[in-house]
Amino acid sequence: MPTRALVTRYEQDLALFPDRWHRIGLVLFSVALLVLPFIADARWLGVSNLALVAVVGSVALMILTGFAGQISMGHAAFLALGAYTTAVLGEQLALPFWLALPAGGLVATAVGLAIGPFALRLRGLYLAIVTLGLVFLVNHMLLTFSDLTHGVSGIAVPMFTWFGSEPGTGSFLDTTQLGDLRLVGDQKLYFLFLALATGAAWVAKNIQRSNTGRAMMAVRDQDLAASVLGVNPARSKVTAFGLSSFLAGIAGGMFALQQQYITIEPPFDLNMSIEYIAMIVLGGMGTVFGAVAGAVALVVLSPLAEMLGRQLPLIERLSSAQQSTVLFSTLVLAVLVFEPMGLLGIWLRIKRYFASWPFRY
Amino acid sequence: MSNLLQLLVSGLALGAIYALVALGFVVIYRASQVFNFAQGEFVAFGALMMVSLHAEGLPWALAVVISCILTGLLGAVVERVLLRPLVGRPVFVTIILTIFVGALLRAGMTIVWGHELRGMPTPWDTMAEVDVLGAQLLVNSLGAMATGALVLALYFVLIRRTRLGVAMRATASDQEVALALGIPVGRVFGATWFLAGALAALAGIFLGMYPRNVDIHLGFVALRAFPAVIVGGLDSAMGTVIAGILLGVLELLCQGYINPHLGEFGKNFHAVFPYFVMILFLMVRPYGLFGSRDVERV
Repeated sequence: MPTRALVTRYEQDLALFPDRWHRIGLVLFSVALLVLPFIADARWLGVSNLALVAVVGSVALMILTGFAGQISMGHAAFLALGAYTTAVLGEQLALPFWLALPAGGLVATAVGLAIGPFALRLRGLYLAIVTLGLVFLVNHMLLTFSDLTHGVSGIAVPMFTWFGSEPGTGSFLDTTQLGDLRLVGDQKLYFLFLALATGAAWVAKNIQRSNTGRAMMAVRDQDLAASVLGVNPARSKVTAFGLSSFLAGIAGGMFALQQQYITIEPPFDLNMSIEYIAMIVLGGMGTVFGAVAGAVALVVLSPLAEMLGRQLPLIERLSSAQQSTVLFSTLVLAVLVFEPMGLLGIWLRIKRYFASWPFRY
Repeated sequence: MSNLLQLLVSGLALGAIYALVALGFVVIYRASQVFNFAQGEFVAFGALMMVSLHAEGLPWALAVVISCILTGLLGAVVERVLLRPLVGRPVFVTIILTIFVGALLRAGMTIVWGHELRGMPTPWDTMAEVDVLGAQLLVNSLGAMATGALVLALYFVLIRRTRLGVAMRATASDQEVALALGIPVGRVFGATWFLAGALAALAGIFLGMYPRNVDIHLGFVALRAFPAVIVGGLDSAMGTVIAGILLGVLELLCQGYINPHLGEFGKNFHAVFPYFVMILFLMVRPYGLFGSRDVERV
């Protein structure tokens, strides 16, 4: 297993950005992220927004599965709850999005905290299948409360900036003129999502470095030893469920705001849960870098897969969604069999190669 | 009365199919601690193979046997190529692997068979009914039940009385000791996947007979068989069979008697009912009906 650079002091171990190269890289990366919405065309801007939604969602799953080691196939259920709460609050009560979005997170948290205690008695596969049942139960509820959710026909998601707006006015997505700068809806959405995604990644990173996160990882690796050392496994697991479902609810709300019109199935079905699992596996389990890299990689790969899919014989017969499924299924299988640490493992190997150059190791 | 009987028998038929699918999960899980999420795709593959073979003009019985063998081989190949390298890795990894194997198989089946619905051939008249105690029962349902019972009996004979069965039980109880005693554990894995594939194909064939629609989405039945596996206990074949049949009956009884009383909420409630039962059940017995009880220290 590739290891990190030598750490000699506790402060180094705690530092968010350990050395100058990380800081330089971060500055360059931030500049690129800020410039992106002005150079990308509408299609790629949409893809970037979806990627940012996926970052929040996969960070959420990483807290639960990567840190606390609780396998969840019910991630789509939390996203669905967040999305529908945001949509219903916007549509029925005309609440502004900055209230509806956290409300979505809170509703998802409530369900997450209700499901959390199951993890105290069930582990591994049993938990995976209970959470899978959650997807069916939540979707059934959403379908039957059709007074609020409009059932199978789907619901429009308004994005009001302030209270008491009428439909069609006061939308966040309206174009704004800031001096010479003209921002269209998708660009504004991009900056909002960028802030939320950065926030989510930062929160997760801080959880990982703090007591809470270390307790989760201890429970994941060896729960008996953890409890002997004074960690309360029950509390760690329920905390992980709560945090994860809150972020997942936010991601669902973001998804709803980005799509502007949502239905229940698709997208909030088992495939969505599986996609999120694919992201964290592809990125590398147990790290925030892995969650971000996996999410971005998968979302950006989908349009590429469509382009590639049209060229390949046989694959061209599939729908575009299936083409990207084929591509990333193959990728995930390859990663699982050949590179268990995912993109993170590849990155660490490249880094080590240059760090020890010209020697092999 | 006849309504109840009719529901009971259709429930038993559905339950027999759930039991076949669920047994496939358990066979693999017992031998290699892998939960095969691609089982549903094996079900669909078996059914589609059957339709195609019969369309080629093979007699019905021969087509059944060949599609079972082919699906079994597919299972064995998946195990040999993809799962064997992962022996010893965490449970989580194999779960994810089988999920994506399933996705790839589904895409592969879409390429070969496309999206259209096909009719499953039956040796008897498709809508044939028999009159039992005043209830009209489909021959298909009775056929599913009879086959289910026969296959389950054969499975228990295999497990209890044959060398392969003993090897499978030995592998299930401890892989390393089994290896040390000269049992070819790798080949046992292959055999269990073959068996699981064949069971899946059989389930697919009977599932396709009623309501007589076969397409690549047939495999979603596996999602509904999960509760049976869990309620029965992951490592107990007997438990899953009982739970599968019970849940099949409960599902249809729920459709007949509970759905109408729930108003708007009751629409399709029977489809999530097994999950409901499962979650309630796990509150009481987290290891299922007959599953082995893990020693919990925390």
